[in-house]
Amino acid sequence: MRKKKTLSEYSTGELVLYRFRKNKLAMLGVAMFLFVALFILFAPLIRPYDTVVKQNIADRLQGPSSEYIFGTDELGRDLFSRILYGGRISLFCSLAIIAIAFVSGALIGGAAGFFGGKVDTVLMRIVDMLMSVPSALLAMAIITALGNGVWKLVLALAIGQIPRFARMVRSSVITLRNMEYVEAARCFGISSMKIMLKHILPNGIGPIVVSATLTLGAVILSISSMGYLGLGVASPTPEWGTIISENKVNIQYYPYLGIIPGICIMLTVMSVNFIGDGLRDAFDPKSKN
Amino acid sequence: MSDYLLEVNDLHVQYNTDDSVVHALNGLNLRLKEGEKLGLVGETGAGKTTLALSILRLLPKVGQIVSGSIKYKGEELLDKNEAYMLGLRGRRVSMIFQDPMTSLNPVKTVGNQILEVLNLHFPDLSKDEKEKKVDEMLQLVGIPASRKGEFPHQFSGGMKQRVVIAMALIAEPELLLADEPTTALDVTIQAQIMALMGQLKEKFNSAVLLITHDLGVVAEFCDTVSVIYAGRVVEHGAVEDIFMGNENHPYTKGLIGCIPDLSKDEDRLHPIPGSMVDARSIPEGCAFADRCPHCMDICRKIIPEEHVNGTHSVFCHLYDAIKEGEK
Amino acid sequence: MSTPLIEAVDLCKYFKTPKGMLHAVENVSFKIEEGKTLGVVGESGCGKSTLGRTVLRLHKATSGKVLYKGEDVLSFSKSEMHKLHRNMQMIFQDPYSSLDPRMSVRALISEPLSGLPKSERMSPAQEKESVDHIMEMCGLPAHYANLYPHELDGGMRQRVGLARSMILDPRFIVCDEPVSALDVSIQAQILNLLMDLQDEHKLSYMFITHDLAVVKHISDDIMVMYMGQVVEYASSATLFANPMHPYTVALLNSIPTIDLSKRNRERITIHGEISSPVNPKPGCRFAPRCPYASEECRNEHKLVEVESGHYAACTKGVR
Repeated sequence: MRKKKTLSEYSTGELVLYRFRKNKLAMLGVAMFLFVALFILFAPLIRPYDTVVKQNIADRLQGPSSEYIFGTDELGRDLFSRILYGGRISLFCSLAIIAIAFVSGALIGGAAGFFGGKVDTVLMRIVDMLMSVPSALLAMAIITALGNGVWKLVLALAIGQIPRFARMVRSSVITLRNMEYVEAARCFGISSMKIMLKHILPNGIGPIVVSATLTLGAVILSISSMGYLGLGVASPTPEWGTIISENKVNIQYYPYLGIIPGICIMLTVMSVNFIGDGLRDAFDPKSKN
Repeated sequence: MSDYLLEVNDLHVQYNTDDSVVHALNGLNLRLKEGEKLGLVGETGAGKTTLALSILRLLPKVGQIVSGSIKYKGEELLDKNEAYMLGLRGRRVSMIFQDPMTSLNPVKTVGNQILEVLNLHFPDLSKDEKEKKVDEMLQLVGIPASRKGEFPHQFSGGMKQRVVIAMALIAEPELLLADEPTTALDVTIQAQIMALMGQLKEKFNSAVLLITHDLGVVAEFCDTVSVIYAGRVVEHGAVEDIFMGNENHPYTKGLIGCIPDLSKDEDRLHPIPGSMVDARSIPEGCAFADRCPHCMDICRKIIPEEHVNGTHSVFCHLYDAIKEGEK
Repeated sequence: MSTPLIEAVDLCKYFKTPKGMLHAVENVSFKIEEGKTLGVVGESGCGKSTLGRTVLRLHKATSGKVLYKGEDVLSFSKSEMHKLHRNMQMIFQDPYSSLDPRMSVRALISEPLSGLPKSERMSPAQEKESVDHIMEMCGLPAHYANLYPHELDGGMRQRVGLARSMILDPRFIVCDEPVSALDVSIQAQILNLLMDLQDEHKLSYMFITHDLAVVKHISDDIMVMYMGQVVEYASSATLFANPMHPYTVALLNSIPTIDLSKRNRERITIHGEISSPVNPKPGCRFAPRCPYASEECRNEHKLVEVESGHYAACTKGVR
């Protein structure tokens, strides 16, 4: 108890930050993410854009060396440059997709769970309809209708992710709505909106954030499968998934072509997962420290 | 040379969590004769359930028996292997848990759940004999045998607890550990269940260790009582010693004082001040010292010794002084 | 007699279930004067909690009236609701689930203030002062303000629950089993605190519990409920001295006592268990379990004033 005294002078926000900083794994996640993000952000300072598309057949399929630190692909393009610039699209698109799906899923699921009754039935049947169409097929249909483009791709894939967030948010809202402390708040005359923001959101968000970070990996991959189908971001701009799929013929004999972009995807996904886990613990006052 | 069915000596059990050690039992002693009904009374966190789980060696992984002994019919249980314990649990020693809602398997019929106990401990009986025993047992606990094909959710709370009792008693155990068997039930149902347990106890002549926080239940059901606080017995005796004697431990006195007396008109209750000690840091000396109205210097230093008077024993320094005075 | 502080008139609450209408509360009427306590006793499923929640409009009443100083709170419009919240509060049974685990004690206690209409809001300084004051009143040490619920034990949590309900300075509090989740030694502390607060602030309580021993202590009047119906309603002293309804008698008889002289007392045990009042038949709902039930019991259920201030639906329990 006495140790808590010094701690207790912090505000809730500061405490969350404090707990997050204390979490080594989360800080590692932040470091990893910053590492990847900074490289990608400052790509033009590191490599000029034309190295992405410049073909140098003489140097094709070279392993990592001092000249090409990640090696080259079958057209002799610098893998390092491609990953740097490709990361911009992979990272931006996947984050945007998650953000859109998360926010709209939370709104739909939150409304359905909180109001219940007819609102719930109508919203959830729409979500079920969305869910019954395979998300890849759905995305293909949307892109075919709207045409190629980064934003169109984001939108198409985000819509496919909405149902899972909506379902998840709905079920956690329903559980929380029936908690006695929510009833207590109603008893004090606290408005529904405030109850939603002050009680239900902070208590329900943890597992959903974690699941959102886990979805990130799947989303990066689905962007690449769109690319593979020719419905992704218009070439020649590469993107991590596309890099793997365009090199798949050579991966057997030149494994670095798969391993290096694979590691990039893995590092990014892992770092975001660590951050997500850390956030969940930081928001929970029951966690240690 | 064992007069006792169950003898627990100086038992220390702790739970090792990530950042602290919870001292659940701190030198607990307990004696239970064959056929006796012993009530173990204490509040939340006193270590009641830990004791029951220790006897059956069913402590969760973080739980650790540090020292002490648990003798069952003179045999040391702590030295036995898992195979021996499997033969003991449910056959010679059964347990009834607090919550009948969660102690039954929701996807099996109640008949099959009782049958399972027989299959485990009496594999030699024929199928018909087993079925017959199940029917008899259900009748005994007041459930028509025709309902054995039903699932737990079709039963009410009290009926479920009857099924749990049937499961616990079908192997005719020598010792029944009942952990708060009626806490989750309403008073009228509690009265039914306690009456049933009393009848069945007579029929099978099992000893009963009734774990509860309710002094009233103990006073009505048990022969002897042990009061525990912070993992130690502070007072033990026949029900008369506890509820009619005047040499009670201050904690027992406090507990009795807390119960609103229906026959008196009083304006205020007499609570025990403060709250339960933190089991992560049990103080030196008597654990109750902080809440005790008679606390002396010595209480904070030395754990009081047992003061025996016939069937009654108290662990309190208050009675040192009295004895000194008598000398 | 002056207008009672709280009065319920023929209050009914039915729930729609897949099996039919569940009559959770049926034609319940009561009066609570200022500074007095009404104890509502019954077993689980008798509708006592539903009654408390219906009075506070946490459930929408099916029919009937709840009058606060003569005003029908059930007909309050949204803009009048703050009058209800200001004056009528609730304390919950479970001190674990009724406090948001993510809020500090200070935030929890001041939360009700944020529900007030803008014109009545306090400045942060006033708010802090009133939280400090209320904490002291409820026996919470000042340094607890920055702790979180999981760092407190059951008794302290219930004090926080009490402080939250008290901060709006209500006139009437529904206490829904406020001590049944607590150890006996802590129970007595909380009951004493409730009684002290009542004396100081002239509070009225509706005290809902399954525990007759507790209710006797704190109540002026007691209402015994069974499956949504009131079976007996009298002053505390009368009810304990002269119970009339067979159910009340059985309930009193079932309480385990530490008085060893009563150990072998003859008991009228009642058989069977409470079921749920879905599409109930007319007549006394206790009849299926009642040792004295006769044909007429299955036809009519009516509270009758058997003696001054003592209402009972049946007098067969008298022996």
